[in-house]
Amino acid sequence: MRQEIVQLKGSRYGLQLVFSPETEFKTIRADIQRKLESGSRFFRRGTVIQLVPGVLSSEEEASLRKLFNQHGVLFRVETMEKPATRRPMATLPLTPASPAKAAPAPAPAPAPAAPPAEKKAPVSETATPAVKPEPQPGTKAVAKPAPEGETMLVINRTLRSGQEIRTPGSVLICGNINAGAQVIAGGSIDIRGTCRGLVHAGAGGDTSAFIIADRLMPIQIRIADRIATLPDGAVKTPAVAARAFMKDGKITIEPMER
Amino acid sequence: MSEVIVITSGKGGVGKTTTTANLGVGLAMQGKKVALVDTDTGLRNLDLLLGLERRIVYTLVDVVQKRVGYGQALVRHKKYENLLLLPTSQVADKTAIEPEQMLELTQVMRNEFDYILVDCPAGIEQGFQTAIIGADRAIVVTMPEVAAVRDADKIIGRLQAENKDSHLVVNRIRPQMVKDGTMLDMTSINDILSIPCIGQVPDDEKVVDSANRGIPVVEWDDSVAGQAYRNIVRRICGEDVPFQTFETDGWFTRLRKKLFSHH
Ligand SMILES: Nc1ncnc2c1ncn2[C@@H]1O[C@H](COP(=O)(O)OP(=O)(O)OP(=O)(O)O)[C@@H](O)[C@H]1O
Ligand SMILES: [Mg+2]
Repeated sequence: MRQEIVQLKGSRYGLQLVFSPETEFKTIRADIQRKLESGSRFFRRGTVIQLVPGVLSSEEEASLRKLFNQHGVLFRVETMEKPATRRPMATLPLTPASPAKAAPAPAPAPAPAAPPAEKKAPVSETATPAVKPEPQPGTKAVAKPAPEGETMLVINRTLRSGQEIRTPGSVLICGNINAGAQVIAGGSIDIRGTCRGLVHAGAGGDTSAFIIADRLMPIQIRIADRIATLPDGAVKTPAVAARAFMKDGKITIEPMER
Repeated sequence: MSEVIVITSGKGGVGKTTTTANLGVGLAMQGKKVALVDTDTGLRNLDLLLGLERRIVYTLVDVVQKRVGYGQALVRHKKYENLLLLPTSQVADKTAIEPEQMLELTQVMRNEFDYILVDCPAGIEQGFQTAIIGADRAIVVTMPEVAAVRDADKIIGRLQAENKDSHLVVNRIRPQMVKDGTMLDMTSINDILSIPCIGQVPDDEKVVDSANRGIPVVEWDDSVAGQAYRNIVRRICGEDVPFQTFETDGWFTRLRKKLFSHH
C-alpha cells in the first residue's frame, strides 16, 4: 500500500493532521491541495482539522489555513487536549464515551433532565466507545479555552445499531447514525450523513442546541426536554439537509443549505 | 494460504447454516480443501444439510476438551473427499466451548485447510464470541427485511470493534416483492449496512427440498439459489463476478398464481 503524505488521525478531540517531520512543506501543501481539489471525501466541508503547534512555521500555518478555508475546511493549530465545555455541566449526568471494549454495560440511569412524561427511556445495550481516547503527545492536564469558542467531539465512522455516543459538548459525526444507534449530547449534533437513529441535543437542558443532518430521518428527535417523533409510515429520503431546533418551545425542522 | 471465515447474522433463521453448507460444497467443488466447523452447539444441523448425521462419532466439544484430536472428529463428505465437517454436540450447550479454545483450534487447523468456514449460532452471546474469535473475516447473512437488517447492522458493529472485515450476503430475495416495493431492495440495504456485498441469493423452494435430501443446492444446475451460491464461491476465490438480475414473474405467471391461489 502506498504511504499517504498527509493523513488524518481521529482523536477524542478532533481530526488531527499528521505527516512525517522529514516531509518538505511544499510536498505537504501540494498533497493537501490535491486532496481538497480532487473532491474526495478526505476533507469534508465544515470539518475542523487540527495541527499540533510547533511543527510548521507561522507562515506555513497561515498558508495552509488559507488553503483549507478556500475549501470550507476549518484549520486550527492547537494542542490536542480535553476540550473546554461551553457551559458548566455540573448537573449533566453524561459521561464521555468510555474506553471499555464492547462489553455489555449496565443500562445508564435515566437522566434527571429527561422529560417527566417519558415513562421508559430507551437504553442502549452497550456503550461502545466512539473513538479510542489515545493520549495525544503534548497533552496537558489543564484545558484552555478553544480559540473559536467551542471544541467538538468528532466521530469518523457510522454508528450502528446498539452503539451509543454520549458527550457533554457538541459532536460532529462524519458518517451515518443507523436505526438502533443513539447520540446524546449536551451541545449540538451535526451529522454529515444520514440520521436514522435517536438523537438528543441539549441533553443538559440547553434549548439553543440544534441538530443538523444531510438526511434527517430519525426515529425520534430530542432537544433539551422536548421530544419530536416523525409521523409513522414510509419515510422518504429527504433531498436536502435539515436543521432541527427549538422555536417557541417546540421542535421545528427546517431545510437548509450546506 | 488459509482463511478462516465465520458465517454470522445476529437474527436467527436467515440462512447461516444453509450458506455455510453451500459455500463449503461449492469451494470443495473448486478443488479447495475445506473444513466446516459447526459452533451452534445444542442446535446443530449443518451435518443434516450435508447428509452426514449418521457418520458423527466425536464432536467439537470432545475436541476442545481434549478427549480426542480434531482429526478423529472430522467427518468426511461422501462425494467430495476434500470437504470435512467438524460437527458439534447435540447435548452440550454453548458454554461448553470457551472462545480461547476455539481460537487455538482454528490456529492448528489452518495448517491443513485452504478454507475453514465457521457456522455461527444466532444471537450476540458467548456462542457468537466463540464463533468469531478465530476468524479472519466474516460473512454476514441477512434477509431483505427491516429486523434482519437491523440485527446485521449490530453484528457488523461488533465485528468492526474486533477489527474483522465483513462481507454481506442477502438471502431469500423475492424479486417480485422487491419490484412491488414490499421488500427492501439492495440499494436500501447497502445504504444502511455499507459493507461490500458478495452475494444476493433468491428465495428458492429447492433449498428446502435440498435440506431434506442432504444435498446443498450449489450442486443443482436447475436451482437459482444454487447459481447464486456458485457465484459467491467464485467471488470468495477472488473472481470478479457480476450480480445476476433475477427474473420477476411475467404477467402470465402472476395471473396464473392469482387464479390458482385458492388451491
Ligand atoms: N434461499 C432460500 N430459499 C428458501 N428457503 C431458504 C433459503 N435459505 C434458507 N432457507 C430456509 O430457511 C430456514 C432457515 O435456514 P438456516 O437454518 O440456514 O438458517 P440459520 O440462520 O442457520 O438459522 P439458525 O439461526 O436457527 O441457526 C431453513 O428452513 C432453510 O431451508
Ligand atoms: Mg443455523
